[in-house]
Amino acid sequence: MRTCYRCLLWLHPPVFRREYAGEMLWIFDQSSQSQGTLGLFFDGLGSLARQWLLRSAWWRVVLTLALATLQIVFGGFAMLLFGHRHLVEPAQDLSLNNLAEFAQDGAIAHQPLTIGILMYLTVFITGGLVIMVIGLTFWTKSFAARRQPAVRKVR
Amino acid sequence: MTEDYSPFLPLSPAALHILLSLAAEDRHGYAIMQEVARQSEGQYKLGPGTLYDNLQKLMNQGLVEASPQPPAHDDPRRRYFRLTSFGRGVLSADVARLDAVVREARAHLSTPRRAT
Repeated sequence: MRTCYRCLLWLHPPVFRREYAGEMLWIFDQSSQSQGTLGLFFDGLGSLARQWLLRSAWWRVVLTLALATLQIVFGGFAMLLFGHRHLVEPAQDLSLNNLAEFAQDGAIAHQPLTIGILMYLTVFITGGLVIMVIGLTFWTKSFAARRQPAVRKVR
Repeated sequence: MTEDYSPFLPLSPAALHILLSLAAEDRHGYAIMQEVARQSEGQYKLGPGTLYDNLQKLMNQGLVEASPQPPAHDDPRRRYFRLTSFGRGVLSADVARLDAVVREARAHLSTPRRAT
């Protein structure tokens, strides 16, 4: 159980681990008889969850990257699966019917194949990048706020 | 000029017990755990995870600080913590709040309940 507890401590954020992991392990050795190893292990699990979810904002970075990746990958796949059939080969003739169809059904869907794919990819990648920038901005603000000393309001 | 403690109130049970245990003297982590168990007569036991998680939060808030030097004849690896003057103010404010709650509860519980 001591090895499991050490692994649990190792999973904590680096700042917390450097500061407190040694003492936590020492206390685990001291109080495992009185408090029970299982209780201490679950207490460490709770601390792990609180550290990553409440005290650290790294989950925001992970969520942002995951959302951006989903936007790019699944958006791209969706375009390949469902959007591809709306793309057309470069028009060979500029007949009146072809131009009328182009005007009626929208610009992107009837672009020539290569340009259409590029336009779709640009839209999806830009969307992913926008999500990334917004998420990282929020993370940076909360990170900077935590680094400042505690502000005390004085009346 | 008085300091505004309201953003820190009410304290969580763990934070209240930690601050109470540091009110009398500087202590290291394990001594805080033992003092909390003694104060609550064994009804509230802090684990090391809860303890250091809360200590980190209290230090970030400026209520607790690391004691500069451990007492003589003690393990130098142990880190000691002490209450700041601001932390003492927050603790006093929370104790006053709890005191008002207890007085209110006693007043309500001592009067017989009227039938409706």
